[in-house]
Amino acid sequence: MSATGWLADRIGWTGIEASLNKRVVPRHGFIFYLGGITLFLLLVQVASGILLTLYYQPDAAVAHASVERIVGEVAYGDLVHAVHVWAADMFVASLLLHMFTVVVRRSFRSPHELSWVSGILLLVLGVGQAFTGAVLPWSERAYTDARVGSEFARFVPFIGGWLHRFMRGGEDVTSSTLAHAFGFHVAVLPAAATMVVATHLFVLMRRPPRKAETITGPTIPLFPDFFIRLAVAMTGVMVVLLSLAIFVERPVGPPANPGVSSAGALPPWYFLPVHAIVRAAPKELLGFEGPSFLIGAACLLGLLLLALPFIDRRGSRLTAWLAWVVLLALIFLSFRAIT
Amino acid sequence: MRSPSPLLLALFAGLLVLLGVLPSALAVQPDVPPAPAASSSGGLASRALPSPTDATNTCASCHGTLTDNKLRTPTKEYLHSVHRDERIGCVGCHKGDPRDPTVGAHSPSTGFIPHPTHAEVPQICGGCHSDAAYIRRINSRLPVGQLALYSLSLHGKLTSAGDTAAPDCSTCHGKHDLQPPASPLSPVNRANVAKLCSGCHASKDRMSKYDIRTDQFDKWTKSVHGQAFAAGNPNAPTCTGCHGAHASTPPDASSVARACGRCHEQEMQLFEQSPHSQGFRKRGLAQCVACHSNHDVARASANMVGIGPDATCMKCHNHDDKPKQVASDISDLLRSSRERAAEARDAVARATAAGLRVAGAAYSLDQVATAEQKIRAIVHTLDPARVQSMVDDIDKSVTETLTLVANAEKARKEERRGYYTALALAGLLLITLALKTLQLDRRHRQAGP
Repeated sequence: MSATGWLADRIGWTGIEASLNKRVVPRHGFIFYLGGITLFLLLVQVASGILLTLYYQPDAAVAHASVERIVGEVAYGDLVHAVHVWAADMFVASLLLHMFTVVVRRSFRSPHELSWVSGILLLVLGVGQAFTGAVLPWSERAYTDARVGSEFARFVPFIGGWLHRFMRGGEDVTSSTLAHAFGFHVAVLPAAATMVVATHLFVLMRRPPRKAETITGPTIPLFPDFFIRLAVAMTGVMVVLLSLAIFVERPVGPPANPGVSSAGALPPWYFLPVHAIVRAAPKELLGFEGPSFLIGAACLLGLLLLALPFIDRRGSRLTAWLAWVVLLALIFLSFRAIT
Repeated sequence: MRSPSPLLLALFAGLLVLLGVLPSALAVQPDVPPAPAASSSGGLASRALPSPTDATNTCASCHGTLTDNKLRTPTKEYLHSVHRDERIGCVGCHKGDPRDPTVGAHSPSTGFIPHPTHAEVPQICGGCHSDAAYIRRINSRLPVGQLALYSLSLHGKLTSAGDTAAPDCSTCHGKHDLQPPASPLSPVNRANVAKLCSGCHASKDRMSKYDIRTDQFDKWTKSVHGQAFAAGNPNAPTCTGCHGAHASTPPDASSVARACGRCHEQEMQLFEQSPHSQGFRKRGLAQCVACHSNHDVARASANMVGIGPDATCMKCHNHDDKPKQVASDISDLLRSSRERAAEARDAVARATAAGLRVAGAAYSLDQVATAEQKIRAIVHTLDPARVQSMVDDIDKSVTETLTLVANAEKARKEERRGYYTALALAGLLLITLALKTLQLDRRHRQAGP
């Protein structure tokens, strides 16, 4: 018996192969690879994050110096750091794009409700990872992000005050904020994300296969064709990621200084629309504090988004159009924020 | 017989003790210093008399109502002075009888001194300030040697010789509104003392009869000391830093190094080991001042040593071959050490700008800085061998730094090469997988319709 045959026997490969062979996917369109790319970026984050943890010190007094040491002294540290920073941005971007294409194609409808809900949860966790990760270098920028980010949290209805204090680990941004961010970034959120991703993939594999007749246009087998194409996409992303990490610097910046004003500072790009909304909010709206009302409304929209497959069971075309409108609005708000 | 009750015995004993203690307790007034034995001032007894802050003081009650400003203001000024104390009062200096509401208070029999003369002032102040027992009761931290030091000073000697233009205590410290030296209002406060001295010493009129220069203040202001002082350096010397205060005397040629050495101790010791120490003494040259000047001392630079136009060596040794050679040798050593140190600093700065953190570089740069500091002191020995040994130290630390930087830069370069290789491999993988996709597509096209 050959070695592959021996292994195939042990893992029940014939069953897996039979299941894979039953499935086909449309041949054209990059959008079917976005989920895989997002997963790939997540794995990159896990791997590079573990390496960074070996040298990072989550103590306000030495955090910034330890990141400077990772970048300036530790072997290959500059690459690992740059990959982690760039992959974080790419992860959030690909997650958002994945969600957007799912809405536009109305792929959230039955029987994909669980994929949708777990996907939205992953988005929340991903943004949490991005926020807590941005705090860790304890640079001027990180300090400002921590302050402004937790300030926004104050406007969340009902739990705002609690969330605000919880994110800061007290009333102000202090070393407790850094300790909280570190604990969440390396333990709580990754653990939660692992479970959510597992659910997402489990549901994806266990749901009934889509019948080839329902697909318009040419198809390809899921295995090996789609898998190889996915590998091409992932490798392509890796080439882009490595090029960015090697050639485009992401400086750590000066250490946190509570004395430096954060006026005029911009949040990370994915928070720009929130920034624009809060900045433009009038003092009072319908009897509520302006920003409080708008962020409350945004939270309500978030809940509606989570429940989308249950509200719009059949996936109406209106939802797809709305997705485009929302995308354009977000882009518009982002531009408003930076100009 | 019944023995007396213990309680009764205790009461009796208590009464006896009380009777014994009471008279002496009544006799001692806690706030009043003990009566003087045989004091030269003879004013200690009167210190117990009322002061202007006291309603029964006729000095204040009378002079406070006078229309002549000169006679009235002292009573007001006194209230803001450090001497405002019921144990001192007007009589502390002027004597007289403050209990007499009539002009009799001024009677010569009371020892009244309306206008203390120039010669009297030091004696009046010294009456209290030289009395250790008395001063300790007032403020145990006050020194008591001022009068003795003053009489040793040139100022004191001139005063004793009857020169009324020489300063007495009040010239510097003030009179009725006298402030403690720690107060910024005091003319002798560290911040004001240079202005105070220059008030007389920068005046050509006042100094003409003593035949001394008047440019010291101007020179000091521009000197490295004056500039450090203006910048708020708490160690920068003002006039009293070198000349002393009460015993102010110009240091003579043989003791200049002692004055400078109060702060520049290492330089003084090393200078004394140099051939200059002996030679200067023989020729009566003023030690440190010969090269560094005094009031206009400039920031010392390596250019001072050598045979160049700025070199102080050339002031004396322009025609001496051997000293010229020594100066030139030391100058070369200093230049090379400076260049080497700059090399190390530049290398670390370059690495830092490139995002490198060179482990250990900060420490070895510190070593370089320490050796540079030492070499600045060692130069005073004028011993090229000793300077050379310091230069060797600098050289060693610089080599260490450069090696660290070079290693870090080499490691970074190798890493970068690794990154490019990884990128190339990823690209290769991408191409291989893309080709595989094309191959699969072709196979499908051949197989199916």
